[in-house]
Amino acid sequence: MKRGRALLLLPSGIVIGAVLVLPLVMLLVISLMQRNPNGGIVWGSFTVDAYVSFLWERGFSGERELNWDYVAIFARSFALAGSATVTSFAIALPTALWMAFQPPKRRLLLVFLVTLPFWTNLLVRNYAWMLLLRVDGVFEQILHTTGLLTGRLGILYTPTATAIGLTYSFLPFMLLPIYLSIEKIDRRLIEAAFDLGAVRFRVLTRVILPLSMPGIAGGVVLVFIPGIGAFISPELLGGGKSMMVGNLIQAQFGYSRNWPFGAALAFVLLALVLAATYLHRVRFRSAP
Amino acid sequence: MGLGEDGAGSAPGALSCRNLRKTFGGTVRALDDVSIDIAAGEFFTLLGPSGCGKTTLLRAIAGFEAQDSGTIHLGGQPLDGLAPPQRPVNTVFQSYAVFPHMTVAENVGFALEMQRRPKAVIAARVEEMLALVRLQGLGGRKPSQLSGGQQQRVALARALAATPRLLLLDEPLSALDLKLRNEMRLELKRLQSETGITFVFVTHDQHEALTMSDRIAVMRDGKVLQVGTPTEIYERPALRFVADFIGEANLLEATRIAPGRFRLAGGAELDAAEDTGPTGPVTLVLRPERAHLAGPDEAEGQSLAGAVEQVVYDGADTTYHIALDSGATLRLREPSHGAPAQARAGDSVRVRIDPASLRAVPD
Ligand SMILES: Nc1ncnc2c1ncn2[C@@H]1O[C@H](COP(=O)(O)OP(=O)(O)OP(=O)(O)O)[C@@H](O)[C@H]1O
Ligand SMILES: [Mg+2]
Repeated sequence: MKRGRALLLLPSGIVIGAVLVLPLVMLLVISLMQRNPNGGIVWGSFTVDAYVSFLWERGFSGERELNWDYVAIFARSFALAGSATVTSFAIALPTALWMAFQPPKRRLLLVFLVTLPFWTNLLVRNYAWMLLLRVDGVFEQILHTTGLLTGRLGILYTPTATAIGLTYSFLPFMLLPIYLSIEKIDRRLIEAAFDLGAVRFRVLTRVILPLSMPGIAGGVVLVFIPGIGAFISPELLGGGKSMMVGNLIQAQFGYSRNWPFGAALAFVLLALVLAATYLHRVRFRSAP
Repeated sequence: MGLGEDGAGSAPGALSCRNLRKTFGGTVRALDDVSIDIAAGEFFTLLGPSGCGKTTLLRAIAGFEAQDSGTIHLGGQPLDGLAPPQRPVNTVFQSYAVFPHMTVAENVGFALEMQRRPKAVIAARVEEMLALVRLQGLGGRKPSQLSGGQQQRVALARALAATPRLLLLDEPLSALDLKLRNEMRLELKRLQSETGITFVFVTHDQHEALTMSDRIAVMRDGKVLQVGTPTEIYERPALRFVADFIGEANLLEATRIAPGRFRLAGGAELDAAEDTGPTGPVTLVLRPERAHLAGPDEAEGQSLAGAVEQVVYDGADTTYHIALDSGATLRLREPSHGAPAQARAGDSVRVRIDPASLRAVPD
């Protein structure tokens, strides 16, 4: 009986093994080998150089010196992903609340509208933001015509632009889970709260928010974690000054031709994300 | 209940609804000119079939549904225009609607928390309320750890904790099994008399309405058909529908030929006491326990001839189904008194009907 059940798990086990575990193992192996300056790796070699070079670099005379550049890129990634998470939450919560209290038919339409951006490529959508934010772009022209601004907007190619791009890209991943969990709340609980003397704000904080915690937690994870690894928005909108981990890793497998270092960076990121998820779990464990 | 048109409603818990109308989607008349006066401290029941507008009336009183026209006064003050949180009215919902993410104590203390009362005051009141609904010691539990009946008590305690002037209960017992329901009926009555709060109780169970209420309003299609004490409603129904809906009734088609005098379809004639009204077709209401089998040599009083079709013994009572010579069927119920049945299927009998037991109602 038990064996039979274990056998049933075999197909999914194979799939998970093939698409998840195998690449990770390959990545680990690559991260522990010597780089081949022409790209790829030197097979059969073993070194932890890739991990060491995350924090230390070789000076001119060959001695090791501490190098904070990569740490700074990681810190910036966490900060940008964090700000995108906070901003998209601030936008998603009122929107989801409003959506959830529309008549059922309109709700369906609204959900469809929220998912509409997915019909076009993320790259194209980030290009669109370039057109909006650039010098003499749409936003600047609007601000100039309305007289709200006279000089330059100066947002494109700054971390702010990256944050805007990230927020825009990941907003639906925050909005949908929050909307779904608010929509699922039994309306009679909300009526009961009103009936017992709660004003709107306290209905929100005492009933709606606690009951939509699973959706909020889901939204935070779905925005924050992919946000750290994002590379399109920083590349297009952030210019050279706000490189994020995603760009750094991409570069190692691209023009820098340092596969072991790229793989090592990916593992460091994975470790940090797992740690963050764990803390998150601990934080939200008491939530229903 | 001598509530005058204007006198009703100066006491804080007195409710007065005047000419309430509410339509949904332009066609469904959920409330159709409803006027009701409820005295402070009364246990008042709204009784009627599904869809007759009971919930709509409660929601209008609680402030969740705005009536199209008409006014609602509580203690002489108009409630119209007040949002639900501002009304000194609390509701026990049919589905309990206990907050699942809060403990029992947090649920019960919710209304006081909303009033920003000091923590110690809330804690004391919560203890008091839990004792009142017999849930001492369960304050720390989550609702999911409670039985249905216990959740119902939490909902009650929560609605009573802030001492509303009026408590609305929308079929609060319908989700409970029979035994628990009987227990909770007594509990509700006790709570009501201990707190002195006006209760407006919704049910479509006529037995529940008769046993618990000070007064009952019978509703149908958004209209209040009759308001009265359980005795009035049962003994003197104003309409055929009321007689049929409340308790068991024999309904005989008849024609009023003179005040207090009726002719049945087969030609037999009957007298009824206490009767006024125009001549013409009416329905005669006869409760099964008010008709009796006439003894073999009993000559006095009016009676109808018929044949016993079926005898049903259910312990305390024996019910006889009798096919009257006039064509109608009649049920009559006699206390068993431990004796064998007075007649058997196929026997010819006479049914004695006291004029005081007959009541003519319009359709
Ligand atoms: N929000 C609504 N929209 C449309 N129609 C409604 C709405 N609420 C109630 N109705 C209609 O109004 C009428 C009265 O409904 P209500 O819920 O008051 O009945 P009820 O007496 O409480 O019935 P039940 O015993 O089944 O609970 C029904 O015909 C119902 O379909
Ligand atoms: Mg109802």
